[in-house]
Parts: sequence; structure tokens; C-alpha cells
Amino acid sequence: MPSVTYISASGSETAVAGFAGDSVMETAVRNGVPGIVAECGGSLSCATCHVFVCADSDFAAMLELEDDMLDGTAIDREANSRLSCQLKLGDADIRVTTPETQV
Amino acid sequence: MNAQPVIVRPASARPAPPAAVAAPERSGCPVAHAPASAAPDAVLPEAATHHGYAPFAMTNPFPSYAALRENEPVMFNAEIGYFVVSRYDDVKAVFDNWQVFSSENAQAPVRARGAAATKIMNDGGFTAYSGLSARIPPEHTRMRAIVQKEFTPRRYKKLEPTIRENTARLLRQMLAHPDARGDFLTDVAVDIPTITILGLLGVGPEMVSTYKKWSDSRAAMTWGDLSDEEQIPHAHNLVDYWTECLRLVSNAHEQLAAGTNGDNLVFDLVQAQSTGSEISDHEIASVCYSLLFAGHETTTTLISNTIRELLAHPAQWQQLIDDPSGIPAAIDETLRFSPSIVGWRRKALVDTQIGGVAIAAGSNILLLMGSANRDPGTFEQPETFDINRVNARNHLSFGFGIHYCLGNMLAKMQDKIVVEETLKAAPGLRLIDAAAIVFADNLSFRAPTSVPVTWGDQK
Ligand code: HEM
Ligand code: FES
Repeated sequence: MPSVTYISASGSETAVAGFAGDSVMETAVRNGVPGIVAECGGSLSCATCHVFVCADSDFAAMLELEDDMLDGTAIDREANSRLSCQLKLGDADIRVTTPETQV
Repeated sequence: MNAQPVIVRPASARPAPPAAVAAPERSGCPVAHAPASAAPDAVLPEAATHHGYAPFAMTNPFPSYAALRENEPVMFNAEIGYFVVSRYDDVKAVFDNWQVFSSENAQAPVRARGAAATKIMNDGGFTAYSGLSARIPPEHTRMRAIVQKEFTPRRYKKLEPTIRENTARLLRQMLAHPDARGDFLTDVAVDIPTITILGLLGVGPEMVSTYKKWSDSRAAMTWGDLSDEEQIPHAHNLVDYWTECLRLVSNAHEQLAAGTNGDNLVFDLVQAQSTGSEISDHEIASVCYSLLFAGHETTTTLISNTIRELLAHPAQWQQLIDDPSGIPAAIDETLRFSPSIVGWRRKALVDTQIGGVAIAAGSNILLLMGSANRDPGTFEQPETFDINRVNARNHLSFGFGIHYCLGNMLAKMQDKIVVEETLKAAPGLRLIDAAAIVFADNLSFRAPTSVPVTWGDQK
């Protein structure tokens, strides 16, 4: 089981066990990890599941729609921004940082 | 959300018989499968109270919502023939489980179409169908993926300057009223989203009144209680609107062939089709048809409600004057506290349960988001309007899951612009009589009938 570590904007870390095939968003919501709102439940329509991924993580490249939606995040996107409902866990442990706010 | 739902209270005060709202295409009546105690005849005394729940009464449904959550969170209501679901977790779980709870009944009409209207519509080639909200996978999945590209921030941010200009102009006009009184609903909130939607469709603002007429006919024909005779003019209007949607699509094809860029949603969808996206002309026209209604009514209500709630809480209005960065949170709190749509429909496809209550296949379900949003299990002090609440955004006012409102960001962006401009142009705005504002009878939509405001000297 991959472990997923969520680092808040202020630096505190929450690590939870995830399941391969689940999304980083689902894993956070199921475990009550703060910092990810996921208002639309993963249908790529709200941009409230914004995270910053670490450089060495190897998620599948984003599709155009995710790219367009990232223009609507509450905290401005950066080069390593992703929408976590689109990030599927594999076997590797991963670390993501959540933005200061999703609203 | 052409599926905007649902059931408008019949013009007369008599309660709607259950048959009037059961989806007409169904042969198996869900009422028959309901627990015996819920059979219409058996529960008359109780049905009269229903924990105070009156399905169409919108002015203050919230005390009855609280009673439902507390006493009977999944209740069969014989008057409308629906299971009424009121707790946050249950509402969200049903939205999330589209395999079991289908949205196919989201547009079931209140009244069967009369013979004359049917003939007019058949002769006129009226074949409009749901844009998205009453379609189900896999068709829904295919179409939504294509249409969704038109609803990204990248696209709608381009609309912002025009919306801001229009808002400033409407506010100037309102503030020029010599008696220092206005109706924020009709003076500002109605036009803004209508102009925006027409812009998306590539239609100029000079068409606003024509489109509004069509939209009103749409509402009357789908959710009204019209006699066969009364349906006739509306039937003609629907044919005209559907013809216009087809024209928009063929017009976009011509533009594409001529190499001109239409720069609107219809053009983009036609262009996507030409580069291999699987969406037919009829489906594109259906999306246009549905956007007319989905796109503006609910946004008009959101704008009215945000201004109304903030003015009813002057300290919070002042907080935003001092620090406009709180506006997005105020909009989310308005959506939670006073959602434009308080109830939305689903249908159970198989025998199942909600919150431990058995639900037979074929049952109709009404999800009360207006109640879920005030569930004390999710929101602290839920009956208090508080723009500083940290989790307002967990509201279910845009639904949840595969049908989650595509227009959510567009709606919020328009509301934000209106609030920003109003705070600047009219910081001294006040409600004339907050307690006198009423909401029109409806099963799903909760919209104030007017929002009278003044900015004159304090008396
Ligand atoms: C405050 C304003 C609005 C509210 C409260 C609202 C609410 C909703 C709700 C409750 C649904 C059904 C969700 C579900 O079944 O899970 C929905 C769906 C939809 N809305 Fe909105 N809406 C608003 C504005 C808009 C706007 C501005 C547009 C378009 C310009 C729009 C387009 C749609 C569409 C296309 C769907 C169907 C999505 C699907 O079935 O996949 N809405 N909306
Ligand atoms: S959960 Fe809404 S976009 Fe990811």
C-alpha cells in the first residue's frame, strides 16, 4: 500500500495509507485530511482539490481539461500544480503540499 | 441543467395530486411500493403535518427541514409521491451513487402536454431533449467530457470585463432613480446572467427580451399547470426557440466552412465535432436549449440572495466594504444558507436503501440540499448566516458527483463581480423591509419575488 503524505501550507504533515488506483483527492477526503475540499466529488469541475506535487513524483501527464481548470484555483497555480482528483496512486509513496486555501 | 426541475405548484391552491408529478413514462407506480404506512389514504392525518413540510412552500421551509432531519430524515411524501431526503450524509451519498440513483426523472413534466400543443410541437419539428442533467452514462459521460471544455476558467475569464461593464451600467441606472428606491432583482440581477448566456451562445444583448420570453414559456410548459388552451402560445414559443437552437448550430457550421471564428460555445462545439469529438448536431442544439434556462435563472437568484443576506446582516456587509477579499467566502455562505435550488430529483433503479429506509426500485427521490446545508452534523450553528464560516464550501447546492453543476464557477464569478461593483457604487444600500420578502411557490427553485432596496438618507 502506498503511503501518501499531505504537507499543509504551514508545514505540518499528515501521512495516510492509500490504495493503488484511488486518487490523491479520495484518499485525503476518506481520511479527513484538511486542505482538500473537492466540492465536485472528482468530476473536474471545481478546482478545490488543488495540490503541489514534488518534482520526483511520476503521475501521468495532465490532460488539457485539467490544465484549463487549474486556471481557476483559489491560490494561483505554479509549475507543479495538479488537481488531486486526477492523480491516481500507484505503488510508490508520494508527497503533496496543499495550498493555504481552496476557496 | 435544463433539467431544472420540476414541479411548480399548480396555480390554484389545491395540493397537487401525486399523479400530477409522477414521471409519466413510468408504468410501475412507485407509490405502490412504498411502505404501507405511507400509502396516501392511510396517512391523511399525519400527511397533513408531515413535520411541517409543505413541498411547494418556499418562503421559510427551514423549520420543517430541521424537523425532518430530526424526526424522519427519509420520509415518503404522499402529496408529491417522493421520498424526501433531508440529512447531509444521505443527500451526498445518493448524489454520489449514480449507478443506483439515476437522474433520468430530473425533467419529468408536471402536466401532460395537451393535444393542440403536441400537434404544434410535432409539426414544428420540436425534438429537444435534456442537455445533460437528465442524460445518463455512457451517453452523459461522452457528452459531458466535450461540453465541459467550454466551462473552464480559462474560457469564462474572458467574459469578465463585459460582465463588469454591464453591472456598472445597470447599477448606475438603478441609482439614478429619483425616489432612491429600486428592486435589485429586476434592476440588476435578472439581466447580468441573461446577457452572459446569450454571449456564450453568440447572440447579442438586443435579443434578451426574446430569449426571456422563450425561457418563461419553457418554465411554464415544463413546470407549470396550464390548461390545454393556455399551452398553445407557449408551444409556439418552444418551437421558435428550438428552431433558433438548430439555426445557431447550422450557422456555426457555415462559419466554420467559411473559415471565420465564431468565438462562442456553439462554434467551439461544432469545431470540436469537426475534429473528431463525438457529439451530434442534435446534441449540440440540445445543450443550447438547456443552457437558456440552466444558465440564468439560478444565477439571478444567487445574486439576489447574496445582496439580500448581506444587507440583512449589516455588520457582514460592512466587513466586505472594509475587506472585499471575503467576497468569495460570502458567496459560498449564501449558497449554503440560501441556495437557488433547494431540492433535486433522482430515481432508484434497483431495490436499495437510504439511511436505513428501504427504497423500492422505481421510487422517486427528492434530495433536499436546502436541508443538508443546515445539517448540524456538518455545519456548526447551521441556522446562522456567517461569512466567516470555515466550511461553507461543503454545501451541496451545486449537487455532487457526475452531474455536478458545470456552470458553478461561471455563476460565482458573476455574483462576485456584482457584489464587488455594488459595494463600490452603493455602500449605503439597505433593504426596505427584509421581513416582507417572499419566495415564489415551487418544489425545487427558491427565488425571491423582489428585493426592494434604498440608498436614500437614513430616516
Ligand atoms: C447559482 C447558480 C446555479 C445553481 C445553484 C446550479 C445548480 C445546479 C444543480 C443542483 C445541478 C444538478 C447537479 C446534480 O445533479 O448533481 C446543476 C447541473 C447543471 N448546471 Fe447548474 N446551477 C447554477 C448555475 C449554472 C450555470 C450558470 C450554468 C451554465 C451556464 C449551469 C449549467 C449546468 C449544467 C449544464 C448542468 C448539468 C450537468 C450534468 O448533468 O452533467 N448551471 N446545476
Ligand atoms: S474534486 Fe473538483 S476538480 Fe477535483
